[in-house]
Formats: sequence, structure tokens, C-alpha cells
Amino acid sequence: MTSRRPRSRSKRPLQKGFALLALLLLVVAVVIVAVLDHRVTRQFEGRRWTLPARVYAQPLELYVGQPLSAARFAQELERLGYLAQRSATRPGMYRRKGDRIELYVREFRFSDAVQPAQELRIGFSGDAIAELGNAQGVDVPVIRLDPLLIGSIFPIHGEDRIVVSPAQVPPLLPAALKAVEDRKFDTHHGVDPLAILRALVTNVRAGQVEQGGSTLTQQLVKSYFLDSRRTLGRKAEEAIMAVILESRFEKADIMNAYINEIYLGQDGRRAVHGFGLASQFYFGKPLAECELHEVALLVTIVRGPSYYDPRRHPERVMERRNLVLKLLAERGVVRPADAEAAMKQPLGVTDNAGRTANYFPAFLDLVRRQLREDYPEDALTETGLTVFSTLDPLLQEKAENALAEELARQDKSARKVSRGLEGAVVVTTPQTGEVVAVVGGRRASFDGFNRALDMQRPIGSLAKPLVYLAALETGRYTPASVVQDAPVEIKLPNGQTWKPGNYDKKMRGPVPIVRALTQSLNLATVNLGLEVGLGRVARAFVQLGLEEAPPEYPSMLLGAANLNPVQVAQMYNTLANGGFRSPLRAVRAVIDEEGKPLKAPELEVAEAAPAEAVYGLDRMLIEVFERGTGRPARNLLPASLVVAGKTGTSNDYRDSWFAGFSGGHLIVVWMGHDDNTPTGLTGTTGALPAWTKLMSSIDTVSFEPLMPEALEDRWVDYYTGRETSPNCPSVAVRLPFAIGYVLEPSDTCPPGTTPEEAALLAQQGDGAAPIESSPPLISPAKP
Amino acid sequence: MRLARLLIVAVSLAASGCALDPFRSGSPTGPSSGSSSGNSAGRGPVVASAPEVTSAPQPEGAGIVVPPPSQLPRERPKTPPATLSPASRALVGQAQAQRKKGDLPGATVSLERALRIEPSNPLLWIEMGRLRMDQQNFPQAEAMGRKALAISVGDYHTQSAAWTLIADSLKARGRNSQAQEALGKARELAQY
Repeated sequence: MTSRRPRSRSKRPLQKGFALLALLLLVVAVVIVAVLDHRVTRQFEGRRWTLPARVYAQPLELYVGQPLSAARFAQELERLGYLAQRSATRPGMYRRKGDRIELYVREFRFSDAVQPAQELRIGFSGDAIAELGNAQGVDVPVIRLDPLLIGSIFPIHGEDRIVVSPAQVPPLLPAALKAVEDRKFDTHHGVDPLAILRALVTNVRAGQVEQGGSTLTQQLVKSYFLDSRRTLGRKAEEAIMAVILESRFEKADIMNAYINEIYLGQDGRRAVHGFGLASQFYFGKPLAECELHEVALLVTIVRGPSYYDPRRHPERVMERRNLVLKLLAERGVVRPADAEAAMKQPLGVTDNAGRTANYFPAFLDLVRRQLREDYPEDALTETGLTVFSTLDPLLQEKAENALAEELARQDKSARKVSRGLEGAVVVTTPQTGEVVAVVGGRRASFDGFNRALDMQRPIGSLAKPLVYLAALETGRYTPASVVQDAPVEIKLPNGQTWKPGNYDKKMRGPVPIVRALTQSLNLATVNLGLEVGLGRVARAFVQLGLEEAPPEYPSMLLGAANLNPVQVAQMYNTLANGGFRSPLRAVRAVIDEEGKPLKAPELEVAEAAPAEAVYGLDRMLIEVFERGTGRPARNLLPASLVVAGKTGTSNDYRDSWFAGFSGGHLIVVWMGHDDNTPTGLTGTTGALPAWTKLMSSIDTVSFEPLMPEALEDRWVDYYTGRETSPNCPSVAVRLPFAIGYVLEPSDTCPPGTTPEEAALLAQQGDGAAPIESSPPLISPAKP
Repeated sequence: MRLARLLIVAVSLAASGCALDPFRSGSPTGPSSGSSSGNSAGRGPVVASAPEVTSAPQPEGAGIVVPPPSQLPRERPKTPPATLSPASRALVGQAQAQRKKGDLPGATVSLERALRIEPSNPLLWIEMGRLRMDQQNFPQAEAMGRKALAISVGDYHTQSAAWTLIADSLKARGRNSQAQEALGKARELAQY
């Protein structure tokens, strides 16, 4: 003892030093732990994941009479991730037997109410729903399917996730995660030293990092702070935080946080986090409906979302998935027989690789822009809004295909300039003013330049209907009024002379308005527009829904105004809606995380132009298909389908447009080159075939507006504008006029001409088209 | 803001456009038959600007041929009154229940669902207008009424209901004389 004393005494300063150092270290450690504690606890407790707004397509409405075949309905169910089974015993399942479908609809929270999960029995007859009832045999008048999730509004390079509650997680998932990733999860205190040791040995033996010894808790901590550096200090920090988490929170909470937090894949700029979104991303269905083989696949992906990307490395993933299944059986999580059966299942990953996220980028772009008018950016990307959009997924697909097929056809064109074109499509439902499809380019799923919104191109002859509307509105013109298809020269303020010409360089002299419009005669239109006044024509643009009137240059009469396809759709939507303007909507409703409805654009209508003028114009736009520039499309459309529309071609064939509508849908198509070089195409040869393809492939109805009470139909000669008889050999068109309007009768074949008299006239070769003896039905006027 | 802008546009349109009749009786050809070179915008509009929004497209100026509704019915065949499909009827019932509970956003959703199924059914636009009344959005209530009128030509029963809606929306904005006029039309049409 004494001998020690001097030593100890001599060491005392040293000891003191050590003590001080220890104290200092302790303080530092306490501070570090406190800091880490603060960080990790705040992160965990806050657990306010930044939740991007989720955007849904419009739901499919089911009701008796809905035009929908059993086959198409089954397709729709597959798209929504419903599973075909021998009987529909759980939500998300259906059974088809010929014309009958049994369906267990999922619960879904719409903006107005939560629609509970329920069983339905649906009978189809031909191409429509004939019976709709529940499992008890009670009729259901109308019900919605859960809508398709079409994307999220996430920040650039942002995380996206769908948060699930423990009730929405199949119990198999946490069990499998524990069995594969962290066997001691239920008992350890955040770290598993043995596992670390084991991993170390494996790694040293393999000479590289193969196995991580991290517990689920450590993985969670690592994910929280988004740092994948594998330094020792980092590891230690992680371990300390894991221990802190474990000491403060329940295992169940930690598991739930893990399930919602962990990174499970990359989708372009979007990082897929949490199993809720992963299930949608890989399987297109809710997590709760995942089966054993799918759970095993998700657990496989956890290991390395890029290395085990089931879309890029299906074989590697299949091998690993089956290993996981074997492990689950070995460790008693599932019965070996079940594991065996699951191993025989395919991966089951939806084939739309990388398209789930913002599957329809051009449409979502429009949604985002409309929402930005009411919401700040961070509200959209962080606060978990649910957005109910107007997208019709089936129609959108058809629009994408119609455009892609027509562009591919042009790629094989004999004309070099017509190859490699770009295009855009916008589809609306005119009466409700909803945008149901937007295609922004030939690669529709590519989130790039959105031609439907970001491009501004001259609209060419699409401007003509506005000139004629302005004319009819003055009350001084009718569809039969004669205008001069004669030369025009205008001195511009800059000293230059504007001298437009007709497409075919021909002039037709006096022509009735109906012919000037349907055959898209430039000179007649310019003369009419100048008579009516540029101011009135410019105002018509605003009436129909353009935000700002185009500059009042004479060239505006021939479509010098630069617009995008959505703007064109807005204006033509008003024509398709009888002169009622509805601001186009891509969003129907928005709710917050609790389901409370928030601000969203409302359905609005405004009488934009007199019904009589719009009706008269629309009737002439129908004639475009009968004898004008839309004629080539007539025979390709269903014979009974009445449509109206207009071609547009800009100078030197740089832009090819078609805008037209049925009674149910307005479609605008644009084609052109991004570098604005000539395409060699008119509206008739470029955009119209794509328009026709799409219009004839969708469920729609004829355009049959009711004639305003003050109007009546009369027969007029297409070439002279004089009143005639349908019996006459000349081309007679039926057009609306004010009741009692005085029309000049035809000299040769006046109204009341009997078929016998008309036959006589035809023999004499008289009375047919006094102006042009044998007028071509489709004169090659500038479309 | 947007609404305000829209309103201004609507006002200016109503003031300038609605008063015109596009198919005036008269000469069968346009006013110009000679040379049309040069700008002839000098032939200005025939109608002076109206001082305020008019409730109906009030015909003014010469040569207007829209007869008042009272002269119309006997001339034209009457269309049977519009009816709702079973699906729409269920949704309208649901919307009415939601309105009663004060759940106006919910009622909007239900009515819009019906409108998507039957966009050309004037009864649904009238229902929508009634809902806009509840929401104190009187201009839109009137607009919905006008939309219903445009798609119920010949259906006097429905047109009468539309005019009643328009009258209510006018009255709510203190435009009593115009409201009376609209109500008169509603009553007249109800007789047929």
C-alpha cells in the first residue's frame, strides 16, 4: 500500500488529467447523445413525412345504360389492379363469367364521402351495363370504382410516398422483414452486435461489402438522414441513434415508421419511398392486397432497390425472391407448401416500367399549373393533398396511340420533310369543360417539352370560324351572304404591302359564306374580316375564351396568332358548347389529409356569344365534313356520327392543325416540327387523320345541337347562296336562317322545284352551279 | 380575382354581344358586293353599348326577329318535358340531401357526376343553378339557367323552371324589374 503511495502520488497529476479528460469525454458524449437524441426524436416524432399531393384520374361511373362491355370493363379492372379470381371474396377481387361480373369494390375516400368496400353484381348486354346490384340482389342506381392513381406532385429530386397505417399492412410484411433483415428485431436494443460481427466476417472473407449487419432500426435512422457514406463515424452515430430510438419508442412504432420510410426504387426524378407506394409502383395495387410472392419481392427490393430492380434485372430478382421465400419457410414465417407455391408465381410486376410515376406527364403538367393558381408549391409537394383530376385514362391512351400511329405513318412518307414530326393532342368534354386527355409529344410518357401547353404556333385557318362568328354576330350576315373571293392588298403601317393568296392561287369571285368557310378560302375570309372589322374579330377570340385578344393585324384573319393546343381547345370548346364558355378544368376537387374539401376550380358557364350565331357557325362547321376540307375524313368516321370541325395550316405548311367535335368530345390535334421547319402537310393531310382515328375509336355521341327558336332551316345553293330545292341538280345545303328571312331564289332551280322538273334541268345541263360549271366538291383550297 | 375578371368579361360581352341578332331579316347578301380592298371597319356595329348587364338578350335596334316567348309556342311542336335517368335521379336525390345538410361541396360533387352522365339534360343544369343559389353565387345561378334554356328548346315546362331560377337569381341581386320579367316568362311558359 505504502509503496504504492508515492507512485500514486507521483501519478496524481496524470490521474487528474485522465479524470478531467474522462469528464470532458463524458460531457462531449452526453452532448453528442443529447444532440443525436434531439435530432432523431424530432425526426421520429414529427414523422410528418413530406407528402406529395396524390393525383387521381376520374373514377369510372357504373350505372345501367353506361356504354361499357364486359370485356372492356374487365380491362379497366386489371388496370386498377383488381385480381381475377374464382370468387370475389375480398376487396380488390373480381370474377368474370361471360356477360356477368362479380366485383368486390375497394373502399375509397372521394372528395364528398368515403365509399365503403362492397360487393357488386353487374350484368352486361352487348356494349352496355344492363344490370347493377349488390350481393343481396338490391339494385344500385350508380356507383364509382376507385380511381386510378396517376401520379404525385413531388419536389424535384424529391421523395414520394403513400403513407400506410398498420391496419393497411399485410401482417406477413413485418414478419418477413424481421425474418430476412433483422431476426432479433423484437428483442434487441437497436443494434445487434452479433449480426455486425457476422457481417464483418462475411465481408472480410468476400473481400468486399456484401452483407450489412444493420438492424431495421439502424436502416431507418440511416434513411432519415439520407447519408449513405459508410464511414466508421457515421456507423457509430447511426448505432447511437438506433439505441436512442429503441429506448424511447415502441417496436410497433418503429416498424411502422420503417415501412413508410424506407427507399424502394427510383422512377426518373422521383424516389419511391415506403411499401405503400412501392406496391403501387411495382404491382399497381394497394399494399393490403399483396400476396406472399409479392411481399417476398418487396422484401427482396429492400436489399438494394437498384441492384434488385425487378424491371431491369428480372432473373437476378427472381432468384433472390425465391431465396427469400425459402428463408421464410425455414424460419417458420410461412408454411413450406405456401412458399413452394409462391415460388412458381411470376414476379407480377406491371410492365409500365418507369411510367407509373406521372404516367401522363403532359396532363399532370396541366393539373400542376391549375393547382398553382390556388396553392403554394410547398402545399402541393408536402402536405398530403389528394387531387381528383378529370383525366380519362382510356381516352388518354387512345389519344396517345392515335397520334403515335399517325406520326409513324408520316415517318414513312415519301416527303422527307414530313418525317420525324412532333405532335400534340387535347381532348375535352365540351359541356362540362373538362380536359380528359393531353398528349404533349410523340413520346407521351416522356416528361419533357409539353407541346400542348408550352408551344406557341400560328393557328392558320383555325382562326376562320372566329371571323365568321364575328360576322354572324353583327346580324348583317347569314350563312348564305355573298362575300368576294377577290384579291386583297393592304398597306401596313411599316410601309410593306400584305397580299394574301388562296391556297390554290385561284379566285372564285362572289361566294356564299358557307362555301368560303367550309373550303377555307383565304381571300373571301380576309375580305369578310375587313368588312366586319379587325376589332370585332379580335374580340371573338376573347369571347370564346382566350385570355388576351390577338394583335389586330390583318394577318390575324388567316391565323397569324400564336397559340398552344390547350388555348385552341378552350376557344373551340365554346363553339362545341353552343356558345357557352366554361374555363377548362383538369381538376375537379382537392381534399386535405383529413378529407376536408379545399379550393378547386368550379364548373362555370357563361353565355359568350349569341346562341343563333354560334348555331349557324356550328352548322357550317358540320358542312366542312360534307363538302369542305374535312371531307376525306367523312367515310372513315362512323356513318351516323355527326361531327363538326376545322382544318388549320400555317404558312409554308409549318403547322398542321385540326380542331373538331362530336356531341360528347372536342379534340384538337397539332403536328409540326419543333424547329418550325415546313412539314409538307396541310391540316387535312396531317392532323385530320389522327383526329379521325381518335374520334372514331371512342364512345361518343353525334353533335346535334337544338336549333334556337328564332331560326328555321332552308335549302340554299352551295355555290350561289340562293334559295333552292333539295331536288335540284346543283349542290343544295340545308342551313339555318332567322324565321321569315328573305332569301333570293335561284334563277334556274328555285324552291318548290319538283323532282321531275329538276330531272329535266339536269338533262339540259342547266341549273347546276352557275358560277363554276363543274365545280370540284373538294376544291384544293387552303385548308 | 379570376371570378372578378370573368365577371367583367361577362358584363362586357353581355353589353355588346347579346343585344345583337345575327340573322336579321333583310337583304340576302352581305352589305358589300363591290370592291372589298382596304379596311372597311368603319361600318361599325349596329348597336350602342348597353349601360348594364341585361337579364335576357334584350333585342334592340331595328330588324330584330326574335319574338317574345309568348308568340312562340303555338307555332312550334312542343317537346315532352325532360326527365332524369335513374342514375341521375339517384344523384340528384343525393345532392338534395347533401344540400339540406349544408354539405354544399358534397352536393356539387353529386350533381357534377350526374352532369357527366347526362350533360344535355336541362334539369340537371337547373339543379346546379339551385345549388349555386345556395352558395350565394347568383351570377352563376343565372348562367346555369341560361344554359338550361339553350338545351330545352321546345320544352316549355323545363324552360319555365329555368326562367324561375333566373328570376330568383336576379331578385337575389336586387334586380327586381328584370326578375319580374323573367318570372312573367316562367308563368307564361308554364301554361302550355
